[in-house]
Amino acid sequence: MERVTGYIGRKALSSISHILDLFAFAYRILSLALARPKRGRTLIARVIVQQLYFTAVQALPVIIPIALLIGSAVIIQFAKLSGQYDFGRLSVLLIVREVGPIVTAMMVILRSATAVTIEVSYMRVLHELDAMEMSGLDPVRVVCVPRLVGITSALLGLFIVFDLVSILGGYALVWLVTYIPMGGFLYQIAKAISVSDIAVGIIKAIMFGITITVTCLYRGFETKRQITEVPVATSRSAVECFLYCLVINAFISIIFYM
Amino acid sequence: MATSIIEMSNYSLAPYGSGHGISGFYFALSTGDVCAIEAQHPDDANDFLRAVATLTRPIKGTYRYEGKRINLKSYKDMLACKPKIGYIAPDAALISNLTIRQNILIQRYYFENDLTIDLDDKIQSVCDTFGICSKLDKRPAELNSMETQMAIVIREISKKPSVLLLDRPEDFIGHAKFDILVEIFNDWIGKKKPVVFLSYDRRLIRRFANRKILITNGALTTVDIKRSNGEN
Repeated sequence: MERVTGYIGRKALSSISHILDLFAFAYRILSLALARPKRGRTLIARVIVQQLYFTAVQALPVIIPIALLIGSAVIIQFAKLSGQYDFGRLSVLLIVREVGPIVTAMMVILRSATAVTIEVSYMRVLHELDAMEMSGLDPVRVVCVPRLVGITSALLGLFIVFDLVSILGGYALVWLVTYIPMGGFLYQIAKAISVSDIAVGIIKAIMFGITITVTCLYRGFETKRQITEVPVATSRSAVECFLYCLVINAFISIIFYM
Repeated sequence: MATSIIEMSNYSLAPYGSGHGISGFYFALSTGDVCAIEAQHPDDANDFLRAVATLTRPIKGTYRYEGKRINLKSYKDMLACKPKIGYIAPDAALISNLTIRQNILIQRYYFENDLTIDLDDKIQSVCDTFGICSKLDKRPAELNSMETQMAIVIREISKKPSVLLLDRPEDFIGHAKFDILVEIFNDWIGKKKPVVFLSYDRRLIRRFANRKILITNGALTTVDIKRSNGEN
């Protein structure tokens, strides 16, 4: 019994210590991002643009079909279930408030978080971070800050794209096979979306962006100098990112909607 | 009296690889010093070089650069002195998602805030001498190991460091280009810049070293030696 209690206690302390490490790392990256020293701005701006292109632009061919499929499925189901007059509000409730943020975050985790973890892990194992330091470059500033800004901005943009495509695109797909008056649908959408929904969406996107970036970078920097640790770090970072995003999503929803 | 550029006092390094570690040593590197390392275990020599480059943290000890104490727990503090140390060793690396040209220029890109600058004539001529001009716009994965190592040498030299640390330089430049290595050493010694190197090529030690760093059984001592004038 004592061993079990001890084990649970050690695991709990280790988890709390890990969460505190993540907060400290996030603080470090955010303080560097907000300080904006002049040195290295051009280099960092280029990395931000590259990260934005990889995370947002290259994800569009994936996220648009997913948004269309989810949007049309939701609209069809609610049109059959609740009757036409209320399904726009229900679509907004589901897609804008819950499904949109989570699905977008999952896409970014699967594509970008794993890629960033692998890249940073390899840089650590192959001593590339040491090489950067020996040139006088702060690895946290050159590697982490642009990825934080790029991934968070990309997530916000993708979230907006997902919502627009799933609602409007989903409606367009459904209109091809059923008759739901467009005027009525758009009126319900406009009535259903409030300022708090938009604010919650932005808050969730920013929180998810910071969480995903900090977690995957932390796992990358923490990798031991063995090549076999790279896949371990990558899978841990993907699972943790997803778990933290679910927890944050529930937390924000409870605060704003209960 | 020669000025100490690097001073490591009461320094202890944990055992690394198959080495014993080094405990409680004092080491000072001054202008004009050309130090050759001789160690019982190569891992101790590697670890010592990494410690001089501030890439390995000690168990205890004080590190001073140009008289100023460096806080070894603060990587920002160490960042101030690292660009002044040229580190050429098997574990030095190029950044794999940049081209060779970008790797050589990354320090200038960062500090000059300009991505349009190019290699100056002197570095271009060194690239030409090493025969990697045609590879400058390729990524490190597209080069063979000798070309990668040469690119690392060029990058470190282009930093214009105050101290040069070399781990088996004969492997980096290749035995066929030994004369280039001699030229680099002559150039450095002519400028009175300190060098610390580990080499299995006795010609380099006999010709250039004026101090020996002996690492045996966990202890470090330094001995002044007379340099021979001839090559062999």
